[in-house]
Amino acid sequence: MSTFIQVILRSLETGSIYALAALSIIIIFRTSNIVNFSQGSVAMFNTFVVTYLFNTLGINIWLAAAGGIVSAILIGLLIDFVIIRHTKKVHPEAKQIITLGMMMIVLGITPMFFGVDPLRLPKMIETGNLSIFGADISYNGVFNILFGLAVMGALFFILQKTKVGLAIRSTASNEYTAKLMGVPTKTVTLAAWALAGVLGVISGVMTAPMTSVTLHIMDDVQLNALIAVVLGGFQTFYGPVVGAYIIGISRNLLLYYGSSVWGGQILYVLILVFLVFRPHGLFGKKIIKKV
Amino acid sequence: MKKLIKNPQFHFILLGLLLCVVPQLAEMGIFKISYVTILGGTFIFAIAALGLNILLGYSGLISLGTAGFMGFAAYLSAYFTMDMNLPFEVSFILAVLIPTLIGILVGLVSLKIEGIYLAIATLAVSEIFRKTFGEFDFFTNGFSGKSATYPTLLGIFELDRAGAYYFVVVVLVIVMLLTYNMMNGRLGRALNAMRGSEAASQAMGVNLLNHRLIAFALATMYASIAGVLYIHFSKYTYPDTWTLKLSLDFLAMIVIGGLRSIYGTLLGAFIVYAVPDLFLKEIPYFSDLSYILNGVLIILVIIFYPNGLINMFNDVKRLFGKLKKGEK
Repeated sequence: MSTFIQVILRSLETGSIYALAALSIIIIFRTSNIVNFSQGSVAMFNTFVVTYLFNTLGINIWLAAAGGIVSAILIGLLIDFVIIRHTKKVHPEAKQIITLGMMMIVLGITPMFFGVDPLRLPKMIETGNLSIFGADISYNGVFNILFGLAVMGALFFILQKTKVGLAIRSTASNEYTAKLMGVPTKTVTLAAWALAGVLGVISGVMTAPMTSVTLHIMDDVQLNALIAVVLGGFQTFYGPVVGAYIIGISRNLLLYYGSSVWGGQILYVLILVFLVFRPHGLFGKKIIKKV
Repeated sequence: MKKLIKNPQFHFILLGLLLCVVPQLAEMGIFKISYVTILGGTFIFAIAALGLNILLGYSGLISLGTAGFMGFAAYLSAYFTMDMNLPFEVSFILAVLIPTLIGILVGLVSLKIEGIYLAIATLAVSEIFRKTFGEFDFFTNGFSGKSATYPTLLGIFELDRAGAYYFVVVVLVIVMLLTYNMMNGRLGRALNAMRGSEAASQAMGVNLLNHRLIAFALATMYASIAGVLYIHFSKYTYPDTWTLKLSLDFLAMIVIGGLRSIYGTLLGAFIVYAVPDLFLKEIPYFSDLSYILNGVLIILVIIFYPNGLINMFNDVKRLFGKLKKGEK
């Protein structure tokens, strides 16, 4: 029983990492109609910023994380200002390729600033373990779970209850009409890219202590986040988050109780089978095409 | 004679002959020897991108699974030739056939899943392959990678680097001819109709199931051919080659070069794969920047030439036409 709870707690931690990344992808998709393949590499760059601030400049880890968030906002704004604004007339598939171009730029720039050696980033809360029903989880793990939930809770509150949220939701549902109604859609998109960057760096800082900070630190997270978005459906903001937790939990359960080698593959196969029966994900609705 | 010169099929063969000169020029010292490897790689990737172009350009179905299928074929061929000692031709056929069957299965899935959902579903398929490459030691040699040799044709002709390059060019020309003929025939018209409107094409008697399956089968077949050529040309593969990044590269090739254009795909493959190594690395002080410059190039091309770089030649022609008229 205690191992089961242990597995679940671990999964909640990875689940919140996936959920933050998935949320960052869906926010961009809903406001700019782009599947952002550069999400992972931009998050990786910002995680490097945090690591640099902490390791080389010796700044307190919390302040370093704050610095990472500032750089994430700046880069998000830059991406929208310099590139995304000028792509209104571009073919939808070509738009995804623009994010590939951004990915290549980031992958090229990062080693120039931070070198090629893998770096280490410690946990936010270094020591301490919490025991729940005989299962151990570090304070940092608890913090990650709670902080992830808090960030997402705050975001959903803003989305559903405030005027800003209304602007984002109306831009997401129909950009042209929203513009006619006086919603500053350009500012909304700008803010969405900044917000997506912030969510990315948070997931990056959470991932970093589990491995080392390299160019490919976020690849796996991004992949699972993309699949989570499909599992949850592209039409809601909460769908991908739910999808991410499902992937986080079932992946660890499969790896632990199923097969440690084939668990990941089995999960993807199950998701594919699920998609055949519900092609628009858990919460997606079928869009009726007019002939 | 005039007919022959205007014949598009003849152009493909002419292009192939032209490309065959590269190794000779390299031996004469006009090119670097490494150019042969880079160009051969470009053509191999162009073959896989042509398959994706049939899928995305003609049929309007998007796939991010190209890398997975290509890698699968590469590993299969390496296993057949190195571990089972099958002749190259047999392993070629088997290594193309098996992934194609799986591709048809994905085609079946594509009847239910559409658009970006399909893209990420195929990405999941590709990831299943990549994870398997890492874990399935006995077949793939795990993370240390699998090696193979240059192909031996008919059991007698052992090809060297230049020979393998010729072989790649021959396959490329055959694939280009095949694509041209299919896409300008009944199949191409049916796929085009399907992309325009599924309902209308069905009403006109296009069988949706058949044609989607054919499109996916062709795309995976091309990717598998590219995979087999890859392993026997670069002689080595390891799991991390076949990532999402590579699938996106294929997408970039056809979008940059031009959807539904055969020469465009070749041009796109050249820009994405060969330009960083051939040109950008040669610029002094900029050698570290080749990756960045390529990214910038991709973004600029898409913003300024959203319909593909291949249209640039038409635009230049038109510009000259205008200038000529002005003179009169």
